[in-house]
Amino acid sequence: MMTDLAPDIARWWDRIDEELGSLEANPEFEHDALRSNGLFDVYKVRMTSLGNYVIAAWLSVPKGDGPFPAIMYAPDYMSVVTPAPYEFRARAITLSVISRGQRGADKPYAAAFPGHLTVGITDPDTYIFRGVIADAIRSWEVLCDHPKVDTERMAIIGTDLGLLVNARRPGARAMHLKSSFWYRSLEIAAGSDAYPHEELNDHLRTWPEQRDAVTRTLAHLDPIHQADRVTAKVLIYREQASRVQSDTWFTPLTSRFATEPVFLDMTHFGQTDYDAVDAWLAAELGMPAFPRTWVAQDIGAWSV
Amino acid sequence: MQRGQPDQFVSSVTKPDDFDAFWNRVQAELDAIPLDPEMAHVPERSTPEVDVYEIHYTSLGGLRIAGWYCVPKAEYLEAPYPGLAILPGYVSEPTLPKSWAKLGYAAVGVAPRGKLRSNAQYNPGYPGLLLDRIVDEETYGYRGFYADAIRALDFMLTRPEIDASRIGVHGGSQGGALSLVTSALRPEIVKCGALAAPYLTGFMDSAALTHSYPYEEMNEYFHTYPERRDRVREVVSYFDCLNFAPRITAPLLIYIGLADDICPPETAFNLRDTLSCDVTFHSWPGSGHEAGVYWEMAKVEAFLAGHLQPATPRNTETDLPEEF
Repeated sequence: MMTDLAPDIARWWDRIDEELGSLEANPEFEHDALRSNGLFDVYKVRMTSLGNYVIAAWLSVPKGDGPFPAIMYAPDYMSVVTPAPYEFRARAITLSVISRGQRGADKPYAAAFPGHLTVGITDPDTYIFRGVIADAIRSWEVLCDHPKVDTERMAIIGTDLGLLVNARRPGARAMHLKSSFWYRSLEIAAGSDAYPHEELNDHLRTWPEQRDAVTRTLAHLDPIHQADRVTAKVLIYREQASRVQSDTWFTPLTSRFATEPVFLDMTHFGQTDYDAVDAWLAAELGMPAFPRTWVAQDIGAWSV
Repeated sequence: MQRGQPDQFVSSVTKPDDFDAFWNRVQAELDAIPLDPEMAHVPERSTPEVDVYEIHYTSLGGLRIAGWYCVPKAEYLEAPYPGLAILPGYVSEPTLPKSWAKLGYAAVGVAPRGKLRSNAQYNPGYPGLLLDRIVDEETYGYRGFYADAIRALDFMLTRPEIDASRIGVHGGSQGGALSLVTSALRPEIVKCGALAAPYLTGFMDSAALTHSYPYEEMNEYFHTYPERRDRVREVVSYFDCLNFAPRITAPLLIYIGLADDICPPETAFNLRDTLSCDVTFHSWPGSGHEAGVYWEMAKVEAFLAGHLQPATPRNTETDLPEEF
């Protein structure tokens, strides 16, 4: 089925590119004095995305002339989006994408959680995530155009939705892939009753006759079809005992990347794992590491 | 601020003289408002083992508050069930606690005001809730937010399939704070609580110890309104879990990360030292705000089961009727 679908999927992505290309982003940057300080300025951004939908983002720009490394936080599956963590805002330009349906971009469409994952899911052209992935791509374009961004030092943090952005708009030097979401999504759902993938189980339990259509739609977002376009160096959390985070799980995807991925074996001590990612990203982007265990030392050096 | 050993940190929190009177007034206000509980079955989210309902009830100010109610099907497990309130974090939306229902609990996923489905009349946003009218304890957003969580317990008391003598609370971060608040304000109902990385505990100290959201909202606020710092300190003292702690009688399981950048571990140790109830306290080096959940979840299930005694579900593959 994958082989048969490949031309349809390619055309689907090309149409997204064409439609985005025909629309000006026209970003507007509103300075947020409350969230700005002596280290960085924060802006609320509004921009036009697919279907003339107005999406948003939190942009933070370090004080100074730049250029600065830049990091995009791809949309996670949740309603709330906040500015990037302080320690990243202190070192880099950060853009936290607020895609359609999330708070801050919820007019006219306010996403329900649960519910968002299956809106229009029986047809790839009506699926809500056709718009969401376009929103992430559009945000990346806006970030690239920012005059203080060092385009040689850009990164993405997020689920494999971020991989899709990199596949369609090369330029990121590095990406931290936090988890699979769209890669083999029905397999993730089949082995779990945890939300958000449980939404897929709910849908198929209620409308089993739609399984083929849902499978077809989800294939359009599966990064396996875009893997040979991924150019960023990708850091991946790995756990060999996990069904969905092992080498066996990832190899069909990662073996097609242009650059060998880097695997980080999870310790499950959250801050230890987080600091390891920070150190890797800092090295890739040429900025100082900022381990979060800093809170056990001295926050004064990073305060204003 | 130079930091030392987290268990040696001296809290700056003080308790207002009228703390109890303030919350007694809130309870009196709630008592005067009919609960008007509603339940609507959600077939799409239900499974062969669990029925899912969207619920609503009325809380402070007449706001309609939403939630999810997940209860074992009688064919899977016969009533009565212990009740379990699952209390939400700051930025996350309330979960559907189907997995808890599958373990034998009648579980409510609470959506206090401002959460999706409870935000038609009140919507401070995120960031936003922590600061919403923080200049006055009578207008502060958490006054109603806490009341909404308390009312979820009242909803559970209306359900005939719930054994009212076996109700517990569980949550992390803000959900941990709400676990403490509900345990303190309704000690006659809450039989036990399991909570992670409690938020809203030592507000002002926390803001001084971190630059991570949500407490960073307070730092941003003081950057803009430095003259309001003292007044804000007074206001949040009415909402600080350190001041609720002495009222708690239920046994608690508390687990934290010693490298938590969101809810500083110092404040959790202050909490531990303020509680007089039976406390099991686990601290995880190297863990952040997830508070060692990878190892802790089995302990949470055992703790809750030990106190609330859910029945063992039938073997679903062999005992369920044929239609399943």
